[in-house]
Amino acid sequence: MDNKRNNESRERIFNAIKAAAPTVSMDLDIIQKEAQDILAESEFARPKLLAEDAPEALVNRINAGLVIGTSCEIVASLEDLPHSVNQFLNKYSLPPELKVQNVPKLQSLNWESLSIDVDLQKDNTVGMCWAEYGVAETGSFVVHSSPEMPILLNFLPLYLIAVIPKSKILHYMDDYALIASEIANRGETPRNMCLISGVSGTTDIEGVLVQGAHGPEISHIIIVEDQ
Amino acid sequence: MHANKPENFYQNVTEALAQPDLKMIIRRTTDKAETKRAEAIANFPEFEKARQQGQKVKDHTIKYMDHYLAEFEKNAAAQGTIVHWASTGEEASKIVLDICRQHEAKKVTRSKSMLGEEIGLSHALDNSGIERVETDLAEHIIQLAGDPPSHIVWPAMHRSREDVIKLFREFHKDPTYSEEITDLVRSARRDLRTKFLTSDIGISGSNFLLADSGSSCTVTNEGNAELTITPPKVHIVTAGIEKLVPSMAHAVPLLRLLTRSATGGEITQYITFHNGPKRPNDADGPEECHIVLVDNGRTKMLADGMEEMLRCIRCGACMNHCVVYKHIGGHAYGSVYPGPMGSVLTPHLDSLKVANKQTHACTLNGRCEEVCPVNIPLPKLLRALRAESWQKKYEPLTNRYVVKAYAQLAKRPRMFQFVSSCGVVFMKLFSRQGWIKSMPFTGGWTRNRDLIEPESKTFMQQYKASKKAKSSGGR
Ligand code: SF4
Repeated sequence: MDNKRNNESRERIFNAIKAAAPTVSMDLDIIQKEAQDILAESEFARPKLLAEDAPEALVNRINAGLVIGTSCEIVASLEDLPHSVNQFLNKYSLPPELKVQNVPKLQSLNWESLSIDVDLQKDNTVGMCWAEYGVAETGSFVVHSSPEMPILLNFLPLYLIAVIPKSKILHYMDDYALIASEIANRGETPRNMCLISGVSGTTDIEGVLVQGAHGPEISHIIIVEDQ
Repeated sequence: MHANKPENFYQNVTEALAQPDLKMIIRRTTDKAETKRAEAIANFPEFEKARQQGQKVKDHTIKYMDHYLAEFEKNAAAQGTIVHWASTGEEASKIVLDICRQHEAKKVTRSKSMLGEEIGLSHALDNSGIERVETDLAEHIIQLAGDPPSHIVWPAMHRSREDVIKLFREFHKDPTYSEEITDLVRSARRDLRTKFLTSDIGISGSNFLLADSGSSCTVTNEGNAELTITPPKVHIVTAGIEKLVPSMAHAVPLLRLLTRSATGGEITQYITFHNGPKRPNDADGPEECHIVLVDNGRTKMLADGMEEMLRCIRCGACMNHCVVYKHIGGHAYGSVYPGPMGSVLTPHLDSLKVANKQTHACTLNGRCEEVCPVNIPLPKLLRALRAESWQKKYEPLTNRYVVKAYAQLAKRPRMFQFVSSCGVVFMKLFSRQGWIKSMPFTGGWTRNRDLIEPESKTFMQQYKASKKAKSSGGR
């Protein structure tokens, strides 16, 4: 990096801002209070949920067809996942193989005849991920990058199954923002935090919606009760 | 297609209006966007409150911009991001190119960024011999066609399905011979997939920069941003300094407004917060992350009293609802940013001298302000630019004389009424079945559309007649 040039540009930009708005207070408390006051309005400026209970609201949103290309189901325990996956593969006439995220709670399940390690670089594959959170407002699941979570797992397959623990379904995006800030305070912010609300879609040709533009065409959310 | 210049606005408009299908192609998308937005707002009764909150978030950040910029810089550096500052677009492009050269990049993938277009990054990369791969489907189409973007959300809206079929057959390795839109999208998916995975550097824009964490946020429906950013070793973000917000919680209200206003959806499919390079042992992600913070006229907007324009979240609603945009499309504006927001931005990014005609193209019907999710008073800003243009004498002499003559006339009511009556009689001479196809001094109007026949009497004559009728009726 050309440090001299960089510093000069930085100074020029800051000087120009100061020259344009010279009277602004730089009292940190005032700035923070103003910023907080704006957030207090969120309660009155966000959409109503489709149910009071967050998991129910998320399910209702998906079942109402409001989350593009996405279906969902609730299972009683993790042990039910292989069965649900089999049903999903049968529904779309897919071969008995998928890429299951490399986390012990998923890997240790009894997958029986299913192969759980396919090469995602090939197209037309199925991926299965463990989501950190769900968000009822938007019908989203949230994934965080980590040694066990390759972000590409959520973007390369044509079919994606996301598992969300029921207790981790939040009401609003604001609730997730609060959690993200707590994670940051602990100094544990992951490289990527992705809110995924539907499948990869485009309306770029004649305004017609096509699913599976680059990533998943079909997505299925499995909510697990006992987590 | 050559890129139009803003200073040739009238000529660009003439050419656009002469394209027989352009209006139909544009309206296919903008009308749909208009309807879908209306539905989304109807389903969100809290929209007005959300809009006020969104405006407050932006105004607060702009008011303390230096504080939040310094915060962002500190926190991004703490995440391991290398922060660069660029006063101009040229400087920003050079920074990106230098990083590419340092890493001996042969291929870069890019996810859609209007700022990238604004700073001329596409041309800079092309001229440097580095292979540039646009990964947003619309950007992919216009890259193959060699077109500039014509809309900030749907950059390829001026291209028909037939155009796309031809382009994909010519350029894709394994093209489809089907004419179905789904198959065309699949063809692009196949073509781009290997490019995503073999790119040396991923370049993205940013919808929001979070000051308290130093994160950048991308928002897409295709998921191409994550595919652009994750596989390569290096990620470069280019972002305007106005993209700042205090925190993720402050970005949330803007996210609610952005999608509803842009496409009529409730939320975009992929919202990702990027926090520097990959952590040790992360399964994937770039090893190096740069962010280039760009001014390029934004501080000038602050100084010129145009700070309201810095609220813009690039949703495109103003152009979807603009009667002028719907007729002439985006290319006629000769700028990366078309429509009402472009007519305010371009004079600052370029100069008012070259882009003053766009400010006059507006009918001031106020639709853009009505639909803007952050309450930008676009008509007021356009009027201010018109006034400045007048003061600086940028209007052609003939216009200035006509306006001065009109001003003189308007100060003399009797004379004004006499001339208006003569005008009505004169226009009637050229009218056929309620329409005027051509008439002296109106070539600019009648070249591309008919002029409606005036009422038989002037407004004042009608007003007096109705007043008289009322008073005699009341007696
Ligand atoms: S000016 Fe308002 S309506 Fe237009 S793009 Fe910007 S935010 Fe959207």
